[in-house]
Amino acid sequence: MRDFQGTEIMHNLFIGSYDGKKRLFTKSGYPPHYGERKIGDLREWMPQRSKLGALFLKGKIVRFERDMKVLYLGCASGTTASHLSDIIDRGILYCVEYSAKPFQKFLKLAMERKNIIPIFGDASKPENYSGIVEKVDFIYQDIAQRNQVEIFVRNFEFFGRQGSEGLIFVKARSIDSARDPEEVYSDVIEKLESHFKILNTGDLLPYHKDHIYIHSRWRG
Amino acid sequence: MRYKLWFGEYDDGSVRISDNLKKSFLNCFNSEPIPFSVSEVGKKTFGDEYYSILRKVAIEVARELVERELKREDRYVIALVRALDEINSSVNLLEEKLEEIREVRDGRLASEFERRIAILKSFRGEIEREIEEVMRKIAPNVSEIVGEKLGARLLERAGSLKKLAEFPASTIQVIGAEKSLFKALSRLKRGKRARTPKHGIIFQHPFIKTLPRRKRGKMARFMAGKISIGARIDYFRGEINEKLSEEVRLKYERLSRN
Ligand SMILES: C[S@@+](CC[C@H](N)C(=O)[O-])C[C@H]1O[C@@H](n2cnc3c(N)ncnc32)[C@H](O)[C@@H]1O
Repeated sequence: MRDFQGTEIMHNLFIGSYDGKKRLFTKSGYPPHYGERKIGDLREWMPQRSKLGALFLKGKIVRFERDMKVLYLGCASGTTASHLSDIIDRGILYCVEYSAKPFQKFLKLAMERKNIIPIFGDASKPENYSGIVEKVDFIYQDIAQRNQVEIFVRNFEFFGRQGSEGLIFVKARSIDSARDPEEVYSDVIEKLESHFKILNTGDLLPYHKDHIYIHSRWRG
Repeated sequence: MRYKLWFGEYDDGSVRISDNLKKSFLNCFNSEPIPFSVSEVGKKTFGDEYYSILRKVAIEVARELVERELKREDRYVIALVRALDEINSSVNLLEEKLEEIREVRDGRLASEFERRIAILKSFRGEIEREIEEVMRKIAPNVSEIVGEKLGARLLERAGSLKKLAEFPASTIQVIGAEKSLFKALSRLKRGKRARTPKHGIIFQHPFIKTLPRRKRGKMARFMAGKISIGARIDYFRGEINEKLSEEVRLKYERLSRN
């Protein structure tokens, strides 16, 4: 591609400059999914639309291998999932979502991608899909719910194994709108620490306000 | 240990493969985590085809559930049932008012009033027909077992087809009897005697109503059980299973004979 100067920081994931700006792309044999540009065989990953995109563009590394098994809780219409599916092109991406409208659009993605297994269900009830999802290497959660930490842990209890990693995005206001966000965050981290080794945490500024991410490893 | 997997039942190392993968996919609840990885067992069964089969079933199921959820025809029925109730009580009220008017002056205005009430009454029939038609489509099994009308009432009380499908038979049996059930329970709590109601809305069904009193409870229990199965089939698959209503009719015939 003519103007793109970039490096592959992970399988199929490129970062570099294009029209004078630092940008993120995944190499993809598939058409655009949410109105993003496609330049050659690279799909631009818009950081304002995806928290994982923001994380990578900020230079943080959460490592995905191309043959990983990943469980994605709260995939919505599949913005982030579409790029993750490019990266783990030999793996499997189980995606759970309980809202019909975005999931309808997600299903278009699932029908074109061989590595996506769609599950229309409630992430707070892993029992219901316990006979579908296998033990996974990674659980990704972006659901903005009051009890999202408990939901995260429960899914690890069902589908985690020693060494599985997780990424959770927390919005202080969805957990407790009255309390100081910093207090909420340290509470969340403390809760997670009894089950996980915390690998990294931070904000998503300037792309997403009022959010933190926590990258962790399951102790089992 | 036994576990329900999307492709069948696992029992101590062996798997009984389901003959309906969509059904088993929807019904693989396990209250405790499974100690092995589902895909490992699955690959022994399906080999390299494992993920492509899983994906095909998952997509089919998801598409059906989403479509149903988006159409929300159950909500339409519920809204119609409630509108019908409202019209019924309005018609009663208006007829009383008409009488009051007539007693004082039985003139042109009274006749005009009567004509308008009649229009409302016949409109009621239109709503009923619409309810029946949609019920046939979204809940063919419940409709076949208790009839569209009572079925729609059960649906209205449950709040959605999904909830009705999730109710145990014992709950379905008392839907609509909640008020009297609570009354009985609070009497019992206060140490008084009370009869707990055995049947709610379904009590209005001829198969229960026409039985001798002492047999009604038994019939209601049986019927509620079949409705519960029917509601689940309606919600998840939407195909009719004639056997259910046939069994209900046979039970009725047996009970009414002796
Ligand atoms: C912020 S959006 C996720 C956006 C998505 N991660 C992306 O970047 O493309 C959160 C989604 O989680 C879903 N959600 C919230 N609670 C859920 C639950 N208990 N089970 C399943 N999905 C849930 C919502 O319906 C919503 O679509």
